[in-house]
Amino acid sequence: MKSPFNKLALPTRAVAFAAAAVLAVSACSAGSSTSSGSSPGGDQSLSIGLVAEPASLDFTTTDGAAIPQALLGNVYESLVKQDDSGKIVPSLAKSWTVSPDRKTYTFDLVDNAKFTNDKPFTASDAVFSINRVKSAWTISLKGAMDVVAGAKALSPTQLEVTLSKPSNDWLFRMTTRIGAMFSESGVAKLATDPIGTGPYKFSKWNRGDSIVLERNDGYWGTKPFFHQITLKYFKDPTALNNALLTGTINVIGTVQAPEALSQFTSNDKYQVIEGTTNGEVLLSFNNSRPIFKDIRTRQAIRMAIDHKALLDTCFAGRGKLIGSMVPPTDPWYEDLTSIAPYDLAKAKSMLQASGAAGKTLLLRLPTLPYATSCGQVVKSQLEQAGLKVRIDPQEFPAAWLNTVFKNADYDMSIIAHVEPRDLGAVFNAKYYTRYDDPTLQQYLAAADSGDEAAQVDNMKKAARRLSEQAAGDWLFLLPNLIVADKNIKGLPQNAITENFDLSKLAR
Amino acid sequence: MILRLIERTGVLLVSLAVSSVLVFAFMAVLPGDPARVALGVNASEQAVAELRQQFGLDRPLTTQYVDWLGGLLHGDLGTSYVSKAEIGPQVFDRLQVTLLLVLAGMVIALLIAVPAGTLMAARHRKVSGLALSAVSQIGVAVPAFLAGILLIMLFAVKLGWLPANGWTPPAQDPAMFLQQLILPALALGLVQGAVLTRYVRSAVLDVLREDYLRTARAKGLRPFQALWRHGLRNAAVPVVTVLGLQLATLLIGAVVVERVFVIPGLGSLLLDGVSNRDLLLVQDVVMVLVIAVLLVNFLVDLLYVALDPRLRVGSR
Amino acid sequence: MRRLNPSLVAGGVIVGIIVLMALVSFIWTPYDATFVDPSIRLAKPSWEHWFGTDKFGRDVLSQIMVGSRTTLFVGVVAVGVAAVIGVPLGILAAMVRRWPSEFIMRANDLVLAFPALLLAIMFGAVFGASTLTAMIAIGIASVPSFARVIRSGALQVMRTEYVLAARAAGRQPWPIAVRHVLPNVTSLITVQASVSFAIAVLAEAALSFLGFGTPPPTPSWGRMLQESQEFLFSAPRLAIFPGVAIAIAVLGFNLLGDGLRDRFDPKLEDRR
Repeated sequence: MKSPFNKLALPTRAVAFAAAAVLAVSACSAGSSTSSGSSPGGDQSLSIGLVAEPASLDFTTTDGAAIPQALLGNVYESLVKQDDSGKIVPSLAKSWTVSPDRKTYTFDLVDNAKFTNDKPFTASDAVFSINRVKSAWTISLKGAMDVVAGAKALSPTQLEVTLSKPSNDWLFRMTTRIGAMFSESGVAKLATDPIGTGPYKFSKWNRGDSIVLERNDGYWGTKPFFHQITLKYFKDPTALNNALLTGTINVIGTVQAPEALSQFTSNDKYQVIEGTTNGEVLLSFNNSRPIFKDIRTRQAIRMAIDHKALLDTCFAGRGKLIGSMVPPTDPWYEDLTSIAPYDLAKAKSMLQASGAAGKTLLLRLPTLPYATSCGQVVKSQLEQAGLKVRIDPQEFPAAWLNTVFKNADYDMSIIAHVEPRDLGAVFNAKYYTRYDDPTLQQYLAAADSGDEAAQVDNMKKAARRLSEQAAGDWLFLLPNLIVADKNIKGLPQNAITENFDLSKLAR
Repeated sequence: MILRLIERTGVLLVSLAVSSVLVFAFMAVLPGDPARVALGVNASEQAVAELRQQFGLDRPLTTQYVDWLGGLLHGDLGTSYVSKAEIGPQVFDRLQVTLLLVLAGMVIALLIAVPAGTLMAARHRKVSGLALSAVSQIGVAVPAFLAGILLIMLFAVKLGWLPANGWTPPAQDPAMFLQQLILPALALGLVQGAVLTRYVRSAVLDVLREDYLRTARAKGLRPFQALWRHGLRNAAVPVVTVLGLQLATLLIGAVVVERVFVIPGLGSLLLDGVSNRDLLLVQDVVMVLVIAVLLVNFLVDLLYVALDPRLRVGSR
Repeated sequence: MRRLNPSLVAGGVIVGIIVLMALVSFIWTPYDATFVDPSIRLAKPSWEHWFGTDKFGRDVLSQIMVGSRTTLFVGVVAVGVAAVIGVPLGILAAMVRRWPSEFIMRANDLVLAFPALLLAIMFGAVFGASTLTAMIAIGIASVPSFARVIRSGALQVMRTEYVLAARAAGRQPWPIAVRHVLPNVTSLITVQASVSFAIAVLAEAALSFLGFGTPPPTPSWGRMLQESQEFLFSAPRLAIFPGVAIAIAVLGFNLLGDGLRDRFDPKLEDRR
């Protein structure tokens, strides 16, 4: 969690998700429900569309949320996974024990899983996969594995992992793509031919259009309902809506055009699911800039923003107001919105007091629809409080990553951080927020090494500290918005993992 | 005629060579190192250097150019820096899609433009001709993507007659292919048809002025008959030129319609390449587009000679 | 006696209105075109807001007015670039001997192989998306059509008696170009400028749709149209106003071009 690599990776994925995570499920051969064998869905198929197509299928070397969203949990499995409530539960590991010094984890693995290249899954594959993160992975997220001192196979079904120091975060990161299990003989062509143990296997990729997954008939667990699932990619949110309206697809996984939702809410052919995600839309401050050294300026900016009006304007009122970097699905969530309530008069006088009034702030926005929209509202609201704001759009991802993210050449920016449990990663002196706060770091270190109660307690303190210090402003939390045909079952209420779980979908 | 063919072929080859240098040079001066872009902002210098070596980016530019050109000539467009996939098959796949779409659009445009333009020319002093002119003027003024959006709203969403978007290769499901082709081809064809109509009109008007047509009319032939017997071939010359130019522009211009209708064409591939900073892919797509345009122009030139007897003599 | 040319009049009036609108917007608009007021978002057209308000509560009429500046800017830059390069090239090609002329026209044809949209996307990738880069790209792509038209016009001028006389009198090519050729091709330049203007306005709309156009918060008709897509069902007026504005502007410049052509080209005169 505290590796610089991990931190640096965040916004790429963060934004990719928020920009892109549109899932749609479509019935390709709806009606052809002749049952073939053991699975309840027979040969029914479904097709799921996303907004941003992956550039490659290899998430070990290519960043971006689209790849794990499609493949993790569906094609690849990990030792442990998160259930709907966010609890860590067994997956390829039936159970595990932790040593008293909290540095040694022993996993009991399932004995009947096999890869789609027909090789059985054993503890040595797990050792291979864990070691490979350090050696062959290139994405910055791989830093989450740095805490591992060693992994060894005690028997074909027993794995022992030793950490260099106790870390609550490590086991959690094992539920993400970092924990994906690969076969030693199946990593030759990761970019085009992924091989995993999951309920689905990769079938084909029509570049520019769709990825097709097929039910893995040799799957060791409960076989999924659908025989075939197509992930279809739409760059244009309106085209996506139209595809659902005209029956080309059956589900929109994450609605990108919330204003257009009324077409579906008013029609009883569709169900609309609205829940939460991990995507905090952050108005980030460059805390190394002199103007942000004065806490009154930072607090005044938070108070000058009418978050309710902002959410109504730039995301059609969908989404949740949060007062800090914690989504409601995390165990240490508290409603902190009252720490900086909207108060224009007070904001004005604080800006006068800090000497920031009349100064011009450079708001560098990534060219993403929500950022562009929210940026214009932020500009208008801050100008009412006496600041001047200059908007400078930066092409996303390339230009924004370089200017804002890498070089921190900005005053303020807006981006959704969709990484789970990313509070510590984002607010750090080395990260683009340039937020240097030893107190915060103490809380985070205590949370990582302590027991469960200590973790929750310290994370709460950390979240409150961020909010009180006004290290940034949390505009809102992106909603998990799904529209689907009425008869589709198994859609997630909240999107809290990196993947879209296809195995639970049914009709 | 033979001489002209040789001359034209020479011009084509020189143009191809020059444009390949231009495209390569443009990509070479692009700010940003492809290897660094592929690895992300926080990659180590060592990793970047290794990847540069792997991609062959550490070699002199001339070597890189010769290699790239050699590959092009063999139909090998190299391997993407980003997706690690072969570029060639992708580009040719996408080119097929765009060609099908553009050709379908052009057929519709011609079906509209030839009768409408001829009618407008024949009736250019009458109210019906003026009314048609006005309609074509409005058609020219509508952006193609707006036409697409309106077509989708009407025929797909409101009436439900046709799919709103998507693409199916004709070999896979011909019926679905046709259903999905109609609306995007219409969006392209209506706007292009309006543009072409105006050229057909003026070409036919020019022909109507010619002596041989006056003679034919003086002999008692009605305007349409006279046109049909003597004029169409002559009127076709300038129209074919414009058609060639439009076709070339549309190969990339179709990208907006591709976006509206979610069609995986060449333009979309280019946009993806740009946003992923997949520079070799961008370079290849641009080059393929330029080659296509130059080839179309070359063919139009030949057609021109074949159509116009006066040009066949060889003097210009 | 000349009859009134309806295309010229209609085109002139439309273009005049757009220019006037842009000028007025510098000193007065009903509201601040970029002022965000969530409390009145998506208001229907009313006496207060003739065209209603958008999702930010901004006055649509004010945005259309200020957007006309962007439209004119787009056209002026693109046409300016095309004319500044294309006109001298065309005249030069008409005045030099066969081989250099052939070379210029071949180079010209080569530029035609890079369509406007392609150049704009490539430029956007290098210099970042902005109105200016996009328009310079469109301008460069319009150079060949300028050069061609001007060359053919200049060739005719070169064959006229007064030019032949001037050459016989030993005048240098440069003064001939400025004194005799340029003034005689101005009508062609105006016609071509008008047509290219219309093309540039359409191109800006297409580029805005693809995300390579005018960045916010500067109001632009193309971007207004693009942003209105979410509201096609709930508030179609948000698409209608900018859509109609673009169509009218393009129509206006095309009509103006047609009208000017008819007026300047005596060969066509008797057709009307």
